[in-house]
Amino acid sequence: MREKTTREKLAVELCGVALETPLMPASGTMAKEALGEVAGVYGAILPKTTTPKKRAGNPPSRIAETPAGMVNSIGLQNPGVEKFLEGLDDFDLGLPVFVSVAGDTVDEFVALCERLSVDSRISAVELNLSCPNVEHGGLTFCAGPASVEEAIHASRAAFPDKPLFAKLTNEGVVANAVAAERAGADALTVINTIPALTIDPERQSVLVRGGLSGPAIKPVALRAVYDVSRAVSIPVIASGGVATGTDAAEFMLAGATAVQVGTASLVREPMDILREFSDYLERMDTTASGLIGAL
Amino acid sequence: MKFYPVKVEAREEIGGYTLLHYRWDGPVEPGQFVMARVAGYPVTFDPFLARPFSFYDHDGETASLLFEVRGRGTALLDDARDKIEVTAPLGRGFRVNGAGGPVALLGGGIGVAPLKVLSRRLESMSIPYDVFLGFADARYSDVAREFPGARVATVDGSTGVRGTVLDAAPNLDRYAAVYACGPNPMLAAVKRAAGENATCQLSVEERMGCGNGSCNGCVVPVRDGGYVRSCIEGPVFDAEVLAW
Repeated sequence: MREKTTREKLAVELCGVALETPLMPASGTMAKEALGEVAGVYGAILPKTTTPKKRAGNPPSRIAETPAGMVNSIGLQNPGVEKFLEGLDDFDLGLPVFVSVAGDTVDEFVALCERLSVDSRISAVELNLSCPNVEHGGLTFCAGPASVEEAIHASRAAFPDKPLFAKLTNEGVVANAVAAERAGADALTVINTIPALTIDPERQSVLVRGGLSGPAIKPVALRAVYDVSRAVSIPVIASGGVATGTDAAEFMLAGATAVQVGTASLVREPMDILREFSDYLERMDTTASGLIGAL
Repeated sequence: MKFYPVKVEAREEIGGYTLLHYRWDGPVEPGQFVMARVAGYPVTFDPFLARPFSFYDHDGETASLLFEVRGRGTALLDDARDKIEVTAPLGRGFRVNGAGGPVALLGGGIGVAPLKVLSRRLESMSIPYDVFLGFADARYSDVAREFPGARVATVDGSTGVRGTVLDAAPNLDRYAAVYACGPNPMLAAVKRAAGENATCQLSVEERMGCGNGSCNGCVVPVRDGGYVRSCIEGPVFDAEVLAW
């Protein structure tokens, strides 16, 4: 039998969507201005989270550097779903496009899913369940299995024909993952940023209260991906601190089918991460799909 | 984000600031910036992010960055003797069109950084200009010697006029254009002093994560509501666009 080419070794399938590589951007970490760096690198494109209406985002300061990471509090700044769709062709690299959505209520998730279900450019939707649920005192939709299940169940009905991903936070991730699968999610993105705080000691004030990302959270994300993969039978998309090709391989060994690159893409060229991943496959004489859960 | 390893050609100390020269023969527009960090990344991920610096000067072969050591990232760059890593030039710089007579350049503290390469552009276009610089004290004002004829203010009065850069620049509304860089309160004051008629362009200093528009961390508030990124839509903004 003919040996697979390097590109063929990188290919994976996620919920019936063929991906040229298992890497894709994490939501909110890749602007259209950065697309030039990702052609030939990612297997899918995932633009910044969209919401029903425009959101201005949070006032500065929005980011603070931490050891091996950063804390951000951007506040889902985005132009709203209609403007988002007007500009979606900007992200056309001939790759599958996954769209991250967030709502304040279950009804907003449903409205977004209905709107996106009729757009043929979109291959899948990722529900950002880390946003505050206005109907439940501002706790996030990930506060517990009941709210996870409610949001996904309703979204599933509104987005029946294409893959629906649920992005979960680390806290309570296994119980939430089981609930998400039960509610009809096709895949789970694990994890989002971890609640964190930075303080300016000179001004004696809070610098940024937000979410921690970057290599600092990789072991936490790895544990979550490993545990979730063993608790559900749907694919897991890893997210959290992936900064090297070997990191991506570790997440796939832990059970992930695909791997999101987020904060690291701010400080590294994504092509370098893919090259390292490809070198790892060569060195181990394996393929990307052969790595999935192969511990 | 792609980073290029570049050789440090020279390092100078000018008062309280460090000036690093490195080889860069690509085009540079006045007011553009780079993200820079020490070489060897990512042997450690701490510090994690690169730091944004306006170009101080560029002669077609060598570029230079002027900075003040404020924390670990700048301290490590200050110690760099061999190589550093930089991105390609980023952002939207000063727009110079040359119509209407003399222009004013204002720098507050390390906000002096983009004015050298801007002054070279003005000279190449035969546009007359005056330079006004404000510093905390005489330790930092040494860099004013690089701007012959510049009028200087220091907050403690140790050199030049006592006060801010605006105390050294009493009649800003007389100029056809005003170009400034410095902390936001200074830029807001420059905008008011420049008045309605002059072209006023302000280079903002913001904490940045990526430099390529992805992280939305470096935003500034705009008059029409909401925020825009200083790395893509700036760092040089038409003053009337900004909310402050």
